[in-house]
Order: sequence, then structure tokens, then C-alpha cells
Amino acid sequence: MIKHLFKLVWNRKRSNLLIMLEIFFSFIVMFAVITLSVYYADNYRQPLGFSFENVWNISIDMRVATDDIWSPEMVKTTEQLYLALKDFEEIEMAAGAHSAPYGFGNRTSVNEYDGKRVEMEVNEVTDDFLKVMEVPLVRGRWFDKSDDALNWKPVVINQRLAREVFGSEDPIDKKYEPWSSSGEDVRVIGVVTDFRQGGEFAGLGNYLFERKRLDDPNNRPPRNLLIKLRPGTTAEFEENLVSKLQAVAREWSFEVLPLTRMREIAFKFRLIPIIILGLIAGFLMIMVGLGLVGVLWQNVTQRIKEIGLRRAKGATVGNIHMQILGELIVLTSFGVLLGAIILVQFPLLDLIGFISTRVFAIGLVVAVLVIYALTFVAGLYPSWLATKVQPAEALHYE
Amino acid sequence: MLKNYLKIALKVLLRRKFFTFISLFGISFTLVVLMVASALFDHAFGPLSPELKTDRMLGIYTVRMEMPEKGMARTAAAPYWFLDRYVRTLATPEKVSIFSSQKTVSAFKNGVKHILFFKRTDGQFWEILDFDFLEGGPFTAQDEKEANMVAVINEATRQKFFDGGSAAGKTIEVDGQSFRVAGVVPNVPIFRITSYADVWVPLSTAKSNAYLRDQTGNFWALMLAKRRDDVPKIKEELQGVISNVEFPNPNEFNTLIAAAETLFESVARGFFSQDRTAGNYSAHLLALLLTLAVLFMLLPTLNLININVSRIMERASEIGVRKAFGASSWTLVGQFVVENLILTLVGGVIAFFGAMLILNMLTNSGLIQYAEFHINYRIFLYGLAVALFFGLFSGVYPAWKMSRLHPVEALRGKSL
Repeated sequence: MIKHLFKLVWNRKRSNLLIMLEIFFSFIVMFAVITLSVYYADNYRQPLGFSFENVWNISIDMRVATDDIWSPEMVKTTEQLYLALKDFEEIEMAAGAHSAPYGFGNRTSVNEYDGKRVEMEVNEVTDDFLKVMEVPLVRGRWFDKSDDALNWKPVVINQRLAREVFGSEDPIDKKYEPWSSSGEDVRVIGVVTDFRQGGEFAGLGNYLFERKRLDDPNNRPPRNLLIKLRPGTTAEFEENLVSKLQAVAREWSFEVLPLTRMREIAFKFRLIPIIILGLIAGFLMIMVGLGLVGVLWQNVTQRIKEIGLRRAKGATVGNIHMQILGELIVLTSFGVLLGAIILVQFPLLDLIGFISTRVFAIGLVVAVLVIYALTFVAGLYPSWLATKVQPAEALHYE
Repeated sequence: MLKNYLKIALKVLLRRKFFTFISLFGISFTLVVLMVASALFDHAFGPLSPELKTDRMLGIYTVRMEMPEKGMARTAAAPYWFLDRYVRTLATPEKVSIFSSQKTVSAFKNGVKHILFFKRTDGQFWEILDFDFLEGGPFTAQDEKEANMVAVINEATRQKFFDGGSAAGKTIEVDGQSFRVAGVVPNVPIFRITSYADVWVPLSTAKSNAYLRDQTGNFWALMLAKRRDDVPKIKEELQGVISNVEFPNPNEFNTLIAAAETLFESVARGFFSQDRTAGNYSAHLLALLLTLAVLFMLLPTLNLININVSRIMERASEIGVRKAFGASSWTLVGQFVVENLILTLVGGVIAFFGAMLILNMLTNSGLIQYAEFHINYRIFLYGLAVALFFGLFSGVYPAWKMSRLHPVEALRGKSL
């Protein structure tokens, strides 16, 4: 039966080749859009590692072109800003950070050590950061005042980075290998579950916190101040806050945004492109589906004699359905198989860094199902038409 | 003859309405996407108020400063000293303007915060760009020299701060500074990064004048050529000048790479030349965009080809008769390609209205700040070109296949 279907498809290879190509490209398009959606959905389910409720971010424009140039006065002014924040009734806690959650700026570090390549996001934060952002600490401790006296550099890392660098060992108080080449004595003092700075839709990555001091002129000043507000503080507080900050640092500019608002912006930024892609892909699939209906319909009208003969020789309605849909499924399988063979090369050759094999596999399976469903639905009407062929009429059809 | 083709094409279209519908659906959808994309492209790079003289305008958007000995490099907007000393003094341009790249600032009105895009410019800025003033006028070079606290605001800002009433002469507080409103201009779309802002104020009103001396900075320059032929001369003159740049602090950076270019050239260079070496990469970017468009058309084309090929038999007897009476294959190819072109042009007309609808929705959604998409003759021409290309792309193979039908077999109605 299946062998017979293959033969039927092979006999019309020229026109079937084009249909197969169309299915192949549809499959690739579907795969790309579905995998990207699965990737986002999967990211969204992972723990965020911080809380954004009642937290505002004050981004400071220090009117300098790069982060690497600063003066002791700038550090002093930042400390004064920080102290000014503490005077507000409405503010429960405040912390400084180099890059803010949901912000677009970040600092990354790529290190090669021991033949391994470790990539991570790095942030410099003050001691209060853990409490302001409610980052869950799983092991060891967070930075505190006593670290001022240390003659080595403490860092806190997330679980993913701990696993990548230390494997199953306990990383606490161990030398942080990827940075050992710089000659600095860097040690891990704590591990947090995660801190996904880019927000819910951002990819899962390694994260490392360095300690920032506001009273040390050799430590660059933080570009962001995060404040935890007492519940019930209204938006009007902002004007008051900015004018006070402005009074402390006349030459600087401040941009205050609640993290909830920054979260909305980050969501829009991630979701709008995928919604547009999804809409376009959806329309493409409708077009392909309708096109297939047309092609198969035409196909059936051309083969009325053949179908009539089969009916006359006792083929049932089910047999005819099987034949038309069966041929279509064989054709689809060729297109999908070709697509799958090409796509599987990507994880095999390690070409897609940011998408995990699991997400890739789910995307592939869902895309296969969608394409089969699409071609099956497109084949229903033509195959129903084929079953309506009356043998007597068909056999003298010209 | 063409009239005959038209008649036949129309008859064929009306004979099987379902097939015509699915062909048109695919064609219109494809063309809508491409037309909207080209409208967005035109919106960002074509001439659009206030940047009407784009054919004579060149900008300096990014410069790369290097210190090869220390392995240091920085690619960003230009420092003020460079633009002031080496660009403003160029001989070829008619006018040169220096202004800050925009940044956001907050301003408060009755306890409500507004985030405004803010640009500090010189007086020439208003002479190079063709702003239509709704009221008042621009600030001048004199205002810039004397650091007068004056501002030009856009219509949206007037709405927010003055409830839409007259604003000229009134005071607006932005980023902790007070400015007297000198003029109000219509909103500039956010894509036009050269001219875009909500509030424009003189450069010299900066909170500190350190920008005059800073080694690095965030400034852009805009140059207006006297004639279109002067554009390449300006590019050349700048390249001659930058090899002799004297750095204020040669221990930090000692090499500078910059180019006078259109925004599109700047984007292309940023995309293809990571180290920003000078050179024109706009052809590369254009080729990339066209390749993407063709890739996008691939699936709709295959779809249309499949439909057309499967319908050949419908026309078998017609083809047989034409061939039997001596029509050459080429004549038939011509006829079927023309038929397909007519179909794509009908699809193009539908797509044109579809694109207008989508652009209208985009304008009204406010998704892109201050964007107002209008169909202009350039977009119409892009659309026509895309439709013709698509028609040829998808019509040639089926036409060739049809023309190859053997007359005897075709007349007998035998399948291929």
C-alpha cells in the first residue's frame, strides 16, 4: 500500500517536486517562528531571581562619555546622593548598581580557562542590593561592611555559573578560577538562585556580582540607584525626589522609572517583533494551505478517470480518501524530512548558542505537527471531491 | 495583441473564481508586507520634513578613536572639540551644524512626569533643516553665543505643558533648567534620529561647559553641500583633515576614524565594518535587504507557481490551437507572463490599499512615536517595482512549461 503511494508520487515527480519544496520552506518558516516562541515561553517560566514590586530605578547621567572615566568628586557626589535618599520617609532602602534590571545596558565578561569558555554578565552592586531587590541567596553570604577589611576580592555568583565553574563542588570560599589569570585574588562568598537582569523573556545566563563601595574613590560610581519604596507611595513623590537629587548634583541628570514600567518596556521590546513575525508566518501558512487546496483540487479533476476506474473496480470511499490523503502525507513527509535533516545540523554542529537542545527539539516536533495538520486539512476538501466521482460518468469523461 | 492578451487574461481570471481568489490572496499578502517594509524604510531614510534636502546633507554620526599601543578603542558619537575644530572649518560645505545626540530627560507638569527627548543644538541647525514653525521661530546663532535660555518645543510637548494653547514666550522647565519657548514645530518622527527631539535648546545652555574640553563626547554634525556634486568633495575633504587631527590628550587616544555620510551609509558601515574603517558599505546593506525581500518572496512564489502549473491542463486545448496555427513558444511564453503580470498588478492594487490600511493603523496605534505614514510617490513606485518583479519571478516557469505542450497531445487533452 505505502509502496504503491510512493510509486504514484514518483510518477508525477516534476510537479510534486515543487509542492514538496513549498512544504519544505513552510516547515522551515514554521520551525523558526515556533522555536522562537517556545524559547520565550520557556524563559518566562524560569525563576526571575528578584522582585520588582515597589522598586524604582534612578538612572544617573553623569555627563561623561564612558563608564571607565571618573573622578573622586563623582564618587563623593554619588555617596551624597545615596545619603540624601536615606533621608526620605518614603524610601525604605536604597542600593547602587552598575546596571539596572530591565535596563538595556549590561556588562559581560568572557573568559577562557582550563580549556573552557565561560561567558557571564557582571554587575557591581552595593551591600543593600540583596535586600532592595529581594534576591534569594542559597549558599554562603552576601557582601557586608566587614568586606572593607578583606585583602581579596569577594564575588557572589548564580547557581548556573557555580555549576559551570565548580561542578558539584561547594564553591564557597574557593578561588574564582576564570578571573585568576588577572593575578587578583578573587573568591566566591555566596551563591544566589539567579538574577535575570534582562527580565522574564531574557535568556538564561551566568551572572556574577562584584561589590561596589560608595566611599572608595578608586571604585567607579554606580550608574543606577535602586530604591525600595514604602507601600502606598504615589507617583507624585517623584518630582520631590528629583528636585532633591538635582539640588545635590546640579550638573547631572536623573531619570526615574518604576521597575514595573521598565518591565513593560522590556516586554514590548521583546514581544512586538515576535508578534509581527507570528502574524506574517500565520498569513503565509493560510496562503500555503489555500494554495495546496487549489493544487490538489486541480489534481483530482485531472485524475477523474483513474479514480472512476478504481471506484468501478470496487474501491470504497475510504480507499479513495486514503489514496489522496496518503499521497499528500508521503509528499509532506519528504518535505519535512528534508527540512529536519537540514535543521538537525544546527544543534549537531553547535551553531545555535542561545537555544537549548530541549527547546530546539520541542520547536521541531511542534513544527512537524503543525505542517502535517496544515496539509491534512488542506487535503480534506479535494479528497472529499474525489469520493464524489461517479464511476459511470468518470469513465466516459473527456 | 496586448489588448487580446488582456481580454483573455480577464476571462481566465473570472472563469475559476476560487483559483483567482487564492492567487490574489497570496500575491496581495506578499505585496502588503513588502510595501509596508518599504514605507518604513522610506520613512527612516527618504526625504521627510524637516529633512528635505537629504540629497545635499551629510552627517557625522559615529567616530572611532583608538590608541593602538594600549589596545584601546571607542566607537561612539563624536567629541565636541573634533567637530568644532575640524568639521566646522571645512571649506566645501555651505553650512555645518553641531548638536548633541538626543537623550531623555524628565520634566514635571502639575506633579505628572513627562519623559522628553532633548537635544542641544547650535543656530545653524535651524538653517540646514526645514522646520515649519507653528508659532514663534528658531533660536539663532546669537542665542547660542550668549547662552540664552530659550527652547524650541514640538507640538506634543506644547499639548502636554500648555494644554495646546499658545506657548511662545512662556517658560518651560526641563531637566532642572528653565527655558523661554521661542518656537513650536510639528512633531518629528522618532525614526528621523538626526532631527528628532521633543525639546531643542542652545548648546551653550549645558549645565557645565566641560563639553568644550572633554576628550570624548556625544555630538553629531550635519553638513549641507552647496550643490549635489559637492557631496563627494566634502567626504574627501574630511578624509584629508582627519589624518592630521591633534588630540587634546594624546596619551589617551591618538587615532581617529570618521566619515561624512548619510544616515543610511552610517548604518551600513556600522553593520558591516565592526572597526568602522572608512568606506562605503551602503551597497552591501542594500544587497542584504534585497536578498531578504527575495527570500521572503520565495514561499509565495512557489505557491503561485504550483497553482499556475496545476492549471495548465485547463488551457491545453487553447494552447494546442494556438500552436497548431503557428504561434511560437516564445509568443506563448510572452502571453502567459503578461497574464501573470496582470494578475500581480491587480494583487498590487489590493495590496496598496491593504498597506495604506496597515500604515494608518500603525500611525494611530502610536507604537512608533510621532510617526505619520503617508503613501508618497516613492512608496508607490517601490510597490509597483516589487509587484512587477514578483509577477516575473513567479510567471516565467509556468509560462515556459505551458509553452512546451505538444500541440497534438494538447489538442487531445493528454496530461503532461
